[in-house]
Amino acid sequence: MNGVFKALSDPTRRKVLELLRKRPMTAGELGEHFPVSKPTMSAHYAVLREANLIDGVKQGTTITYRIKLSVLEEALLGFTRALGIGTGGANAEESAASTSEGRIS
Amino acid sequence: MIIKRLGFAIGLAALFLLAAAGLRYAAGSGMLAEETATRVIMALTGLGLAAYANIMPKQLGRARRSPAAEARAQSALRFGGWALTLAGLAYAFLWGFAPLSIARAAAMTVLGAATLATMTYAIWSFTLCREAGDASASR
Repeated sequence: MNGVFKALSDPTRRKVLELLRKRPMTAGELGEHFPVSKPTMSAHYAVLREANLIDGVKQGTTITYRIKLSVLEEALLGFTRALGIGTGGANAEESAASTSEGRIS
Repeated sequence: MIIKRLGFAIGLAALFLLAAAGLRYAAGSGMLAEETATRVIMALTGLGLAAYANIMPKQLGRARRSPAAEARAQSALRFGGWALTLAGLAYAFLWGFAPLSIARAAAMTVLGAATLATMTYAIWSFTLCREAGDASASR
């Protein structure tokens, strides 16, 4: 269960799960939605796979990911998204940046 | 994996039977009211259903032919999982706290409605998949 909380605490991984809820996607298709490098995305996929929240099917050189959430995990995903868990750092940085800009101007 | 899952299911079933036998014995020997024993057994059944339905969306099986079929199958599993989990919890709650005359009818109604909704959604998803498959094959 610890792995599930760790996986759901990151906004990027939550967005991956949101995308996979619509339909299964390849690693490439998923990567297009995020402005991060392939190795970073691979690390996110690894965390999600370790927590048994996604399933990867390899066909040739392509890996297609499928969502694998239980009802409880899906409810947890909804809660963490609603509460914005894990986005505190980003928001804090944004607000800090806007504050410093306000001081300069 | 299958053996592990089967072992878990058999273990859980044995636990339920033991609990039911224990509660019946307690009720028979006057340690527990007959109504309480019935309520506990039925509430446990509801919770067992909820626990099983909770993991239903995780049973993906092998990959389907097309992404559309995969999405439909996953959607049906998710719908069924949610419907039966909520029905299981409602069943347990009703047997736990509602007056017996209401609990009997309401619990069966909730469970029946959830099962019907799950089956209807699964058949609808399957039909859509077949239609999509036929359309792509005729092209």
